[in-house]
Amino acid sequence: MRKTPMLEVRNLHAHYGQAHILHGIDLDIGEGEILVLVGRNGAGKSTTMKALIGLVPPSAGEITFHNRPIANLPPYAIARHGLGYVPEERRIFTDLTVAENLEVGRQPARGTRPAWTPHRLFALFPNLATMGTRPGGRMSGGEQQMLTIARTLMGNPSLVLLDEPSEGLSPLIVEQMSHAILALKAEGVSILLAEQNLHFAARLADRAAVIETGRIVWTGPIQTLLHDEAVRSAHLAI
Amino acid sequence: MTALLIQLLTGLAGASTLFLVAAGLTVIFGVTRVVNFSHGSLFMLGAYIGWTILSRLPRDPGSFALGVLLTGLATSAIGSAVEMVLLRRIYKAPELLQLLATFGVVLILQDATQAIWGPADLTLPRGPWLRSAVMILGERFPLYDLILIATGPLILGTIWLLFARTRWGTLVRAATLDREMVSALGVDQRRLFTSVFALGAGLAGIGGALVLPQGSANLQMDLSVITDAFVVVVVGGLGSLTGAYLAAVLIGVLQALGIVLLPKATLVVVFVVMACVLIVRPHGLLGRPLTATRTDAAAIAPIRPATPALLWAAAALLVLAIAAPLIVGPFVLSVLTDITIAILFAASLHVLMGPGGMASFGHAAWFGLGAYGTALAVKSLAAPMPLALLLAPIAAGGVALVFGALVVRLSGVYLAMLTLAFAQIVWAVAFQWSDVTGGDNGILGVWPPAWAGPASFYWISLVLCVGGAILLRRALYAPFGFALRASRDSALRAEAIGLNPNALRLAAFTLAGSAAGLAGGLAAYAKGSVFPTTISVGHSVDALVMVLLGGVQTMAGPIIGAIAYTGLFDALLLATGFWRAALGACILAIVLLFPQGIAGGFNRPGVAGSVKRTI
Repeated sequence: MRKTPMLEVRNLHAHYGQAHILHGIDLDIGEGEILVLVGRNGAGKSTTMKALIGLVPPSAGEITFHNRPIANLPPYAIARHGLGYVPEERRIFTDLTVAENLEVGRQPARGTRPAWTPHRLFALFPNLATMGTRPGGRMSGGEQQMLTIARTLMGNPSLVLLDEPSEGLSPLIVEQMSHAILALKAEGVSILLAEQNLHFAARLADRAAVIETGRIVWTGPIQTLLHDEAVRSAHLAI
Repeated sequence: MTALLIQLLTGLAGASTLFLVAAGLTVIFGVTRVVNFSHGSLFMLGAYIGWTILSRLPRDPGSFALGVLLTGLATSAIGSAVEMVLLRRIYKAPELLQLLATFGVVLILQDATQAIWGPADLTLPRGPWLRSAVMILGERFPLYDLILIATGPLILGTIWLLFARTRWGTLVRAATLDREMVSALGVDQRRLFTSVFALGAGLAGIGGALVLPQGSANLQMDLSVITDAFVVVVVGGLGSLTGAYLAAVLIGVLQALGIVLLPKATLVVVFVVMACVLIVRPHGLLGRPLTATRTDAAAIAPIRPATPALLWAAAALLVLAIAAPLIVGPFVLSVLTDITIAILFAASLHVLMGPGGMASFGHAAWFGLGAYGTALAVKSLAAPMPLALLLAPIAAGGVALVFGALVVRLSGVYLAMLTLAFAQIVWAVAFQWSDVTGGDNGILGVWPPAWAGPASFYWISLVLCVGGAILLRRALYAPFGFALRASRDSALRAEAIGLNPNALRLAAFTLAGSAAGLAGGLAAYAKGSVFPTTISVGHSVDALVMVLLGGVQTMAGPIIGAIAYTGLFDALLLATGFWRAALGACILAIVLLFPQGIAGGFNRPGVAGSVKRTI
């Protein structure tokens, strides 16, 4: 079922100051795969993503992306290898227009996939199409969430780290969001999705990894996580 | 009326060069969050390099423009070099350390400039077009001033276009908002920062070259322009280009009009305007509250009580200090008196910087106010020593209370820049108001009475300074100190539990001002005289270096720092003619090697978050 892993994470550790957050994360993501990272608040989902993109420098461990070690590279170099990061807080450049926000994300195309352009992105997120000159600070939360994904796609990533994209959005926007993510998957983009909304995740993900206090405690097909009673009670405690 | 109009135009012309410096400063700050103290030095280098280039070129307008542009390119290259060699390593350091490091660059560039071009002022031979004038309302007005007036808006427009219409400008604006996110999107911050620095340094150099036809290249212009530029940038709002232009025009015109209307009070006028703007708009005319820079700054380690071993060592040192006059000769005794004064000076600054969390870059103002207060009390009131010494902390503390009420609301960098500007204004008053302060000649003959010989005065100084430092330490372990530290760590949470952060900060500001004033009063007696140099930027930096040498987050820090620095300074003064450059190099070494200070280096628990990786 799984294709060749494009991202391999081995024994990843990370600290915030003195606090030890990640205690040896192991993860594999294959070409074109969507992996959902499940865990409660504070388990280390966001820190895992920040460590992968280099915003929190890993204190130990290996990250191999497209067969290249990236664990000690600065964030811009990791991004240029094709790793895209969509932060949970969205971090839109509020004074910049939608078009300018996209421009900041623009990087040359890599590989054989066609490059993302504002035009193609507006087809993916129709809400954005009419607001090219609007400042990012004057958009709704859902529009900002779409813009932050579009901005990252402008870098033509082969793997996107999506940190809780459905958080705080209305059901209608969540619906649009899952369509967009499935469209990305159809394009062959791999996605690491951090998510608390399991119903949202179940429709998108191929596999799930459960994270608890900085360790991956279970990995397997998302359907097993949702329906296997033993796995559910052990890891989801619902 | 005509005279006023002409003066107004002269002010506008001055505003243009001021804007060139302030624009670079504000753009660099916006992106890198570094307040570049050495920006004035780039302006000065622009004047010197411009002199070298322009005096070799033909004296026609075209060659002049070419020469000015070449100067801009040269300072741009120098600025880029400074950024790549130094600033790149300290982007994650605390802002005060960054300010201090760039001051180290100021010192080094001062000595380098003097070594290359000599100490004399250099004036440019002016071609006929630079001497020509136009008639405005029947008055002759220099053509060159009109060109300068046009230069300001022209540069403003050019930079605006650059920012609004180019990819580079978009990236710069994005980095001003959230530079970490920009790097996560694949943009190499280092190149962006260097290019911004190059632009700012180029503008400063052009500004320096443009003042040549009306003035000269001299070694004082770096500090005088940076003080004005700090005021302009703060009044305009940090990071705002248009704000910087408005503020430059406001300050430039007020200075020009002030020379005619209130010749004695020019500097005070500027200060009053700055105060008014900041009361109404704490973030400047067009500024906005600073967003957090989103760097993982290491949490401030709590101050821990001294260990018994340290207390015993301190007691032994104190016994030795008390016995010193019986052992050492007069020269060493005078050095020891200096050290006691330095300890109180450094300890008072430490109260502000460490527990208070307030970055003060003009602490010499309080020291100087105390020194002048004491000296004036002796000279004009014939006050006896106890009364004169009592007046020192009262004078300094009183002014600190008024100034503090104005500024304690402001955040780190604003406060650092304003305290520096205030100290420069106090310095200027001491320098210019010669009827009262004696101007550059200072006030002489402030000797202790006959009953206080060198040994007795040393003991008095020891009791007052070490006692004062111990009292300051006591205050920081009192509820006041805990409340102060709580407000430093989170003003919002402190307010939520019923503390008043601004009142606490004001109390700390006044306390520190009074203590520094007492140190100043003692210094007046110890030297027998007071000069404006006691209030100079250099003296404020002395205090900063002492505190940083010792480490901001340790109680023993300022004391160790004062002893180490006074010794270092005397050694440098004796050993080298280039003491400024040597001191600058020492400052850079401290900042790069011991970001936590010397004493701070000893009690760093485990792998503390020092500058691990600079982006």
